[in-house]
Amino acid sequence: MTSPWPCGRIAHLLLWCGLAVALLAVSIPRIYFGATEYPLRPGGALHTTDSYFKFATGREGVSKSLISTFESMPMSKPIVIFIRRGDAFSSGLGMTTAYLASPHAVRLCEIDGTHPDNELSRINPAKVAAVVLCRLNRPAWLPAGKVFGPGLEIVSLGEKG
Amino acid sequence: MNALGLFGAFGTLFAAGYGLLALLIRRSVRLSLAEQIAFSWLFGTGAVSLLLWVFGFFADGLLLQGLVNVVCISLGMVGWNLKKPSLIRRKPRWFEVVLSAVIAIQIAIVFYLSFVHTLGWDGLLNWEIKARYAFANGGVLPAAYFSDIGRAFSHPEYPLAIPFTELWLYFWLGESNQFWAKAIFPTFYVAGTFLVGAFTARLSGRTWLGLLMAALLFFVPQVTVEVGCARSGYADFPLSVFYFAAAGCLFCASEQGNAVFFRLYAGCLTLLPWVKRDGLILWAVATACGVFIILRTRKSPSSFLAFLPGIVIILAWRLYLNATHALQAADFLPFNLETLRTHLNRALPLLSALVAEFCSLSTWSLFWFIVAVAFLYALPRMRESGVVALLVALIAPIVLYLCLYLFSNWPNYLDHVGLSISRLLMQVAPIGFLLIVLAISRHPEKQPQRVQMPNRATCAIACSERTAVVELA
Repeated sequence: MTSPWPCGRIAHLLLWCGLAVALLAVSIPRIYFGATEYPLRPGGALHTTDSYFKFATGREGVSKSLISTFESMPMSKPIVIFIRRGDAFSSGLGMTTAYLASPHAVRLCEIDGTHPDNELSRINPAKVAAVVLCRLNRPAWLPAGKVFGPGLEIVSLGEKG
Repeated sequence: MNALGLFGAFGTLFAAGYGLLALLIRRSVRLSLAEQIAFSWLFGTGAVSLLLWVFGFFADGLLLQGLVNVVCISLGMVGWNLKKPSLIRRKPRWFEVVLSAVIAIQIAIVFYLSFVHTLGWDGLLNWEIKARYAFANGGVLPAAYFSDIGRAFSHPEYPLAIPFTELWLYFWLGESNQFWAKAIFPTFYVAGTFLVGAFTARLSGRTWLGLLMAALLFFVPQVTVEVGCARSGYADFPLSVFYFAAAGCLFCASEQGNAVFFRLYAGCLTLLPWVKRDGLILWAVATACGVFIILRTRKSPSSFLAFLPGIVIILAWRLYLNATHALQAADFLPFNLETLRTHLNRALPLLSALVAEFCSLSTWSLFWFIVAVAFLYALPRMRESGVVALLVALIAPIVLYLCLYLFSNWPNYLDHVGLSISRLLMQVAPIGFLLIVLAISRHPEKQPQRVQMPNRATCAIACSERTAVVELA
């Protein structure tokens, strides 16, 4: 009569139980850390973009202000967004601003350095609704714009048409 | 108001999916409640997003929403008439109850995590952006969006299953809402967990093993907490669920005469290229596996028609992109032999990056190590067509994705790999659970109780209305 628990079967069982326990032992601390990293925050229609802007500029509720700023500009003209090459924060701000600028057409201009003087001087103010500077310095000759925390400034170039 | 809107959106999604499921399976097979929920969700999201896109050619706003609602409700009624949801027939054992409770807690945690975190970067700027713009334009993506150079970063060429499911929520909520848009992603996790549980239970013939596998899915950090995980708003996890469903159904369809699962496979296969651009590769692999199963099991030549809907979706989307002059991503160099020849020197660094990813405990824990052990168990079973199909479904996409990086246009292709490989591996990871359960429940021919014990469905015996039911309690 053969044993209902032959060696092969016991080894098989031990192997898979061991693997399952090892998986749990390695995973649980990682998942626990990931799950408890952030507290529950209130949600809102612009929950994600607000969090991005809070992280990048330190200001609360930037998304709504940005949307109303863009709404006050002529829809037929594009928004030009300047971002800094190699600066992830600057590109992040630029893309999130482009996301909110709809239905305006947008142009993303990536520049080297922090002074977009040359690029700005080539812009025809009559054909652009606004320029957005993401972690870039505004030239002195350009009128001051609306500042949404450090690193984000919108300079309106035309009235609503 | 939000709760009512969500209820309406989810209700119509499930109704449409349930109707399609019932039409596909008719009265020929009894699926467990978990399988019905999972397939209803997958088919519902696929159908509603496709309907919004197609009806959007001649309707918008309330008319568009109304038309899609009518189709969803009609499908739901057809489904209800064809097939009533099955009920739990047996009393679950105590450890099955415990495992079910664990799964319920895990699902609650994933929902919690989804609402704690924001949408991920791609979740917002590749997927939700399309839903938002379409909602602002009456449910139709503005034609100008596809050729807007300033928004090329948002990949206008990506397909619409995920964004248009979010759009459906927006229609019901009456506003675009980044917070509630996240609700669909944990639901994909629910579908994925249910399918892992259901298929592994079918394969092993043991409900508790299915429940255990479903519970273990949570313990893969890439699925639960890592960048691009199930709750992040990326399309990778939903794609992995569709792919897993297709592969699982195909495995079941490899049993002689199991036409129902082949139809379900065809349904999931169709939606792969509609979820994400990478879905095209998974579609190609799953199609190749399907052809193999058709030939090996001598299915009727009409089975080849299963591939037609997917081809139609691929071609229709390509035509649409051409017609809207959509910008193409510049992530990859032209796919030709010359580029391949000049970039072959990347092969070794790519392989070592892949091995490093497999060994990353913080991302995968021991998951791939366990899959490797299961792979060794599967080698002696290479004569079984279902096992071969599963192995190909697991390995071929990984090889193809690795080859894709040979054509990467990023200044540092290893950055490209580092940013995306974990998400690409996640697309095939659930299939690893099928392999694991095959290994655990080896020598099925020596376990005659598989087909004798009541209330335990396997792929082999799931062919008739009298089939016993596998239920996730």
